[in-house]
Amino acid sequence: MKQGRLSPEFKVGILVLIGFIILFYMSIRIGKFGVLSDKGYDLMVYLDNANGLDTKSPVLIAGVEVGRIRSVKLDNFKALVRFSVKEGVQIPSDSIIAVRTQGVLGDKYLEILPGKEKKMLSSGEKMSNVLTSPSFDEIFTQVGTAAKKFGDTIEEFQGILGEKEKAGIKKSIDNIQTITGEFKDIIKDNKNSINSVIANADDTMKGLKKIVTDVESGKGSLGMLIKDEKLYNDAKDTMASLKSISSDIEQGKGSLGKLVKDDSLYNDAKDTVKNLKDITDGVKKGEGTLGKLAKDDSLYVETEKAMKKLQKGADGISEMTPITILGTIFGLMF
Amino acid sequence: MLVNLIKRISGTVVYILRELGGIGLMFFSGVYWAFRRPLKLNYIFKQMEFIGVKSAGVVIITGTFTGMVLALQSYYGFRKFGAEGLVGTTVALSMTRELGPVLTSLMVTGRAGSAMAAELGTMRVTEQIDALIVMALNPIKYLVTPRVVASFFMLPVLTIVSDFVGIVGGWLVGVKLLGINEGAFINKMTKYLELDDIYNGLVKAACFGIILSVVACYKGFYTKGGAEGVGRSTTESVVISSVSILIADYVLTSLMF
Amino acid sequence: MNDNGIVIKINDLHKTFASQKVLDGVNLEIKRGEITVIIGKSGGGKSVLMKHLIGLLKPDSGEIWIEGSDITKLNEKDLNEVRKKFGMLFQEAALFDSMNVIDNVAFPVREHTKLPEKEILRMAQERLRNVGLAGFDSKMPSELSGGMRKRVGLARALILDPDIILFDEPTSALDPITALTILDLIKETQERLQKTYVVISHDILGMFRIAHKVAMLYNGRIIEFGTPKEIRQSKKEEIKEFLKATGIPGFSGGDR
Repeated sequence: MKQGRLSPEFKVGILVLIGFIILFYMSIRIGKFGVLSDKGYDLMVYLDNANGLDTKSPVLIAGVEVGRIRSVKLDNFKALVRFSVKEGVQIPSDSIIAVRTQGVLGDKYLEILPGKEKKMLSSGEKMSNVLTSPSFDEIFTQVGTAAKKFGDTIEEFQGILGEKEKAGIKKSIDNIQTITGEFKDIIKDNKNSINSVIANADDTMKGLKKIVTDVESGKGSLGMLIKDEKLYNDAKDTMASLKSISSDIEQGKGSLGKLVKDDSLYNDAKDTVKNLKDITDGVKKGEGTLGKLAKDDSLYVETEKAMKKLQKGADGISEMTPITILGTIFGLMF
Repeated sequence: MLVNLIKRISGTVVYILRELGGIGLMFFSGVYWAFRRPLKLNYIFKQMEFIGVKSAGVVIITGTFTGMVLALQSYYGFRKFGAEGLVGTTVALSMTRELGPVLTSLMVTGRAGSAMAAELGTMRVTEQIDALIVMALNPIKYLVTPRVVASFFMLPVLTIVSDFVGIVGGWLVGVKLLGINEGAFINKMTKYLELDDIYNGLVKAACFGIILSVVACYKGFYTKGGAEGVGRSTTESVVISSVSILIADYVLTSLMF
Repeated sequence: MNDNGIVIKINDLHKTFASQKVLDGVNLEIKRGEITVIIGKSGGGKSVLMKHLIGLLKPDSGEIWIEGSDITKLNEKDLNEVRKKFGMLFQEAALFDSMNVIDNVAFPVREHTKLPEKEILRMAQERLRNVGLAGFDSKMPSELSGGMRKRVGLARALILDPDIILFDEPTSALDPITALTILDLIKETQERLQKTYVVISHDILGMFRIAHKVAMLYNGRIIEFGTPKEIRQSKKEEIKEFLKATGIPGFSGGDR
């Protein structure tokens, strides 16, 4: 078969070699050369809800994959999950195990939070400390609590004003001025982006239709947050109080007489009032609940705080993707 | 009228059953002779060259462009909710699990399967197959088995090449053209891609290789009616192979994944 | 065993294709070392008869005895043993398109013997020289004319020195001069090798040049069997008609 040309065997050999090199390379890159399933030991855990957990779902400690789920079976109305742990990874017997969610796809995995016990789990043992993740309902309850605290804070704010501590007021006004100025700028600067964000939010909402429906019908506690008239009224009251203080200042009468001498302070205050008026006008004109939220500056302060609390509250379940998205959207809007 | 209709339907059913039976028998005898000595290695290598090496070019081109268009299309979708990083995953999973094996098999059907049917058909109508029998040589062993064995081994090889160039094509479009974060692209891909995805794809490809070669050999081997018959056999073999591959793809996928 | 040197004995062979009787009780005895020509009309069952001889077709009923065994009863494995005694030249030569001339001729040797490659090539080249195609070794069948292909086919049929060689229409689709050279080649090789040749053809004139015995196949039966001279003197109407069709006055009944 030597005719100066390459023999079929040679050409086929090259092609097969290329195939094997690619296969080998891809296997290496994927980095799961099947070694996980061979060595190591097995542990078990009973879960109330193994929804989303599947054979081969990963088991992580501190975000590092240490094993894979081998099987998920129903045992006595609980899910018996059997998983492998890599050789060399020791798990203290008081470790906590939790079902977590990862990524946009909402993949579930098991996370082991190592305990402090000296005794290590050995093959075939059951882990008993299960951290149950909060469900959606629980998250919304937390949001409700946050909204209540929001209202309390505004009342506290009013209390401060009643004390009439001049220095405090001056400082407050200063702060309010800077803050409102900034907010105005922010709103001005971001008008377009707010619009587009709202548009985007609309798109996203389509995907999250159920939640949106709930929010619109004021069913969930998040809906309450948005629709709560009291909240809005509180904010309006606050504005009114501020207004009366500023008008006192303007007239230069009463106990605030001293302050009048200070021109710059006066001017500052005037500007502040003007700003506040602008904003309150905006709020009054503001249509729809989102519009109100978007234009109401003082509400912003508290909403931001509430959001922070909300995010903090949701921290333990920070992987709950839809909420994260919602948070992102609200964060962008304010 | 009604009698005619029933006649036609029953005729079609009988025809389909006979074809299926013939293809099945061809498969068994082809495999049977693969395990009988002496194995005609030089024939197998010749067919491997024809089916594998000579199809490599067209497989590489289709694979690359499929990966590229996959990246383009999935980018459009994923961008809507900010998950561009998943483009790599989509390309890799689609290529290894589905498009690699299926497109490769369809391309080989078009290129090599049709040629097999035409070649065997010509051998039939010009009595070359009879000549083999008269020489006391089994035509299945000399003509069918090498083609089936070669397809069985070459399709997975072509498929892994197709998978790879498809992913590279997706990477080119996704990372180089659309500017997806390369780290996210590669990491998400390697994270969600399993070895089983690749292996099962290759198993599928091997099955498709058997299907396309057995169908082509059957159609060619039993060609009737001269040059015109050869043309008919070739067309039928491509149609039957392609349809069978897609049906088998569904069945195998539902069994495997 | 060796009853009067009869190599092939066909007993009452019947074959029907889709309600059409093609062979309707064929009886024939073919002698060793002779050229026996079976002549009949196109589509008259000649090819079918020949395919029965080599086991490509199974009869509906009847027997074919070849050197003491009834091949209609044999399984494929034993049939292959019998086939090794045969060589066959097909109508279109049936050369393998994928191989060049020398590989085609050498093919049966390569597949059936373990001779060294050098010896195989020597044999193939000798056979090619015998049919007048020395030096055509590396040509592909598609590059050859019809006559050349038949010569290569003959070389391939002869290479394993078979006892019986079958010829399917050796002169069809050839111009008269090429046909003559092929006929001469058949006659010349037969005289040299002294093998049993069975030829089927509708070309009476050509066949009478080479035949030792002629069998006339008509309506699925052998209606006359004998030397060419005996055939020409036959009184049967069908044969007279067939001979007249040659257009040569006095061919029928003549004694040349």
